[in-house]
Amino acid sequence: MFIHNFKYAFKTLSRNRILIFWTFAFPIILGTFFKMAFSNIENSEKLEIINIAIIENQDFKENEIFKEAFKTLSDENNEDRLFNTKYTTEEEAKKLLEEDEIDGFIILKEDEPKVVFKESGINQTILKYVTEEIIGTSNIVGNLAEDEIKKEIMSGNYNIDYEKIYKNLVDLAENQDTKINNISSNNLSYTMIEFYTLIAMACLYGGILGMVAINQNLANMSNNGKRVSVAPIPKVKVILSSVLASYITQLICLLLLFLFTIFILKVDFGNNLPLIILLAISGSFAGLSMGLAIGTIFKTNENIKTGIVVSVTMLGCFLSGMMGITMKYIVDKNLPIINKINPASMITDGFYSLYYYDTLDRYFFNIVSLIVFAVIMIGISFYSIRRQKYDSI
Amino acid sequence: MTVFKTFLKVLNKCKVPILLYSVMLILFSAFNMQTSETNMNFIASKPDVLIINEDEEEGITKNLIEYIKQNSNTKEVEQTEEAIKDALFYREVNYIIYIPQDYRKEFLEGKNPEIKIESTGDYQASLAEMMLERYIKVANTYQKNYDSEEVLLNKINDTLSKQSKVEITSKLDTENIEKATFYYNFANYSILAGCVYVICLILSSFKEQKVAKRTLISSTNYKKYNRMLLLSNLLFACCLWIFYAILSFILIGKVMFTLHGLIYIVNSFIFTICAVTIAFLIGNLVNNKNAINGIVNVIALGSCFLCGAFVPMEMLPDSVLKIAHVLPSYYYISNNELIKGLEVINFETLKPILTNMAIIIVFSILFILITNIISKRKRKIG
Repeated sequence: MFIHNFKYAFKTLSRNRILIFWTFAFPIILGTFFKMAFSNIENSEKLEIINIAIIENQDFKENEIFKEAFKTLSDENNEDRLFNTKYTTEEEAKKLLEEDEIDGFIILKEDEPKVVFKESGINQTILKYVTEEIIGTSNIVGNLAEDEIKKEIMSGNYNIDYEKIYKNLVDLAENQDTKINNISSNNLSYTMIEFYTLIAMACLYGGILGMVAINQNLANMSNNGKRVSVAPIPKVKVILSSVLASYITQLICLLLLFLFTIFILKVDFGNNLPLIILLAISGSFAGLSMGLAIGTIFKTNENIKTGIVVSVTMLGCFLSGMMGITMKYIVDKNLPIINKINPASMITDGFYSLYYYDTLDRYFFNIVSLIVFAVIMIGISFYSIRRQKYDSI
Repeated sequence: MTVFKTFLKVLNKCKVPILLYSVMLILFSAFNMQTSETNMNFIASKPDVLIINEDEEEGITKNLIEYIKQNSNTKEVEQTEEAIKDALFYREVNYIIYIPQDYRKEFLEGKNPEIKIESTGDYQASLAEMMLERYIKVANTYQKNYDSEEVLLNKINDTLSKQSKVEITSKLDTENIEKATFYYNFANYSILAGCVYVICLILSSFKEQKVAKRTLISSTNYKKYNRMLLLSNLLFACCLWIFYAILSFILIGKVMFTLHGLIYIVNSFIFTICAVTIAFLIGNLVNNKNAINGIVNVIALGSCFLCGAFVPMEMLPDSVLKIAHVLPSYYYISNNELIKGLEVINFETLKPILTNMAIIIVFSILFILITNIISKRKRKIG
């Protein structure tokens, strides 16, 4: 009996095109859109070479520090190259600025640089910052040279090699070793969160499958359910087999989604495959149990129940960062309790901790939360369908 | 009138999704509109930096922290490892500076102590790193020449306080215009999803076999019936458009009262017309009511993601933008971006915008033609 019902439940579920669209095709389509839209975001946030112009007037030609500094910073062979510099006249530079060919230009007048921009921005800030750094260097050299010369004079040496002092000081100021040690993790790609919420969404949408399967067995929901409930077989067998069928359908959909995201979209889930599988299984179990609870508590038609599952899922995904990753951070930081009871966030956070954290505490906390959530949901649905009797329907 | 009344009845059923699309538009626009000061002066970009100081805040350490604070937005984050890691991942901060214990002591002894940092690697982080490097370089240079910490700090501050003069040439109120662009880009989703959802649902309700058969044998002229249906749908689309236009006046304000604002509104009107034709096409293709929801999501989300309604166009890969050329949304959003950069308004500068508008209209005509061909075929079979 168990196998018989399982077989037919599985067949009805997998032939329901709308259901399969939402649990299987929609996450894949959305994932493809995510990939197309987000693949370049992080690259475009990296610092690119900035197009600038310098007015080549007499002041600039005579200022060695400026000339040298921009030559190095615009050198194509320099690893830390910042600028692509054009040396032109003021009119030409203005024209270039107007046409957005450059972000800004520099005019040097009596060793005082003036930078001209069209608008404020990060590239402009960097250009301004670099010119200030160069003035800073001249200032250091000026300050130190004064002291140096005084010292020489005090020691009675009047035959001072200004050129040499000057050159030494420029070298000193420019070639200071800064010991900055970057210890950041390599896994800092925040767009991954989008794909994790996608998996969470697929897990929770699986709840629709569970709900549809159980509706087939509820006497007040479908004709099929009426027949099932008068049949002389234990209800637990029928219900368990239907639920199992929907769980397996869900896992198959999820497996395909994983294969798609890993091999085609190249999503990085971290390296711990067994733990990823464990999280996916617990996540879809939580989704299934949520579908069962919604299917049994609400006594309305199937469309409204589907609407409830979809809205709960979308709200959960919204709070866990699907429509803007900052959302998850804001909720985690200010109202952590909401994401502690939100299954979408537990799944997303589980993947996040596998990807970004070195320790597994946070991951296991999420797994346990998911299982607790599922057990509560199943308890609720169990309580609401046991010992049901109808005098008339 | 009967047709119109039925139309309103069906429309009444769709109010929840329409409300949802509008709420999303308001929410996301409001989310992106926190700073609203208009400013024509240069505003330096400031990276978000977190300083974790394990040394005592005195002398050179204090001076370093003050310098970073002046030139960046220093954030306060709970001092647990988890909170710090999360802050970096979610870009609450771009750069974390760990000042080690005894930094001051070792620095004054000339040992050039190592500073650990964590960085998101984006341009904000690069700017923060430039600041830190500059400070250390200046400090190290002076440290080799002066023994007294007080003199040293004075010299460092003197050097770091040198500013260059800045001149801004553009007279555009860029920040507010950017908001308007963001709003109208997002409206791409609300208009498209709203029109397609409602019109498809209405068409499929009218095409339900029982209803369709009754309409066919009724005394109403089929031409009048079609006209009524078309007009009511257009009326709905116009109402939706006017609603979003009014909303933009409330949310964005000043910019909308300029010529720029007018072009945004005209552009969105043309796009609304196009959305109606798309909706008619889909409504004629699809008969299953349950499938509509899925189709709306795929079409509206698809054209929004591919054309840059959610993620700004300049951040999309070139290949995606090339594909996007086949979608009318691309031209609508390109226009919004073009309006943003418009400094002088005359025929010459408006030319590309008008071209894009013409392309959207061509798309609309194309959709109407296809709809006609399809519905003609369907009638033959029926």
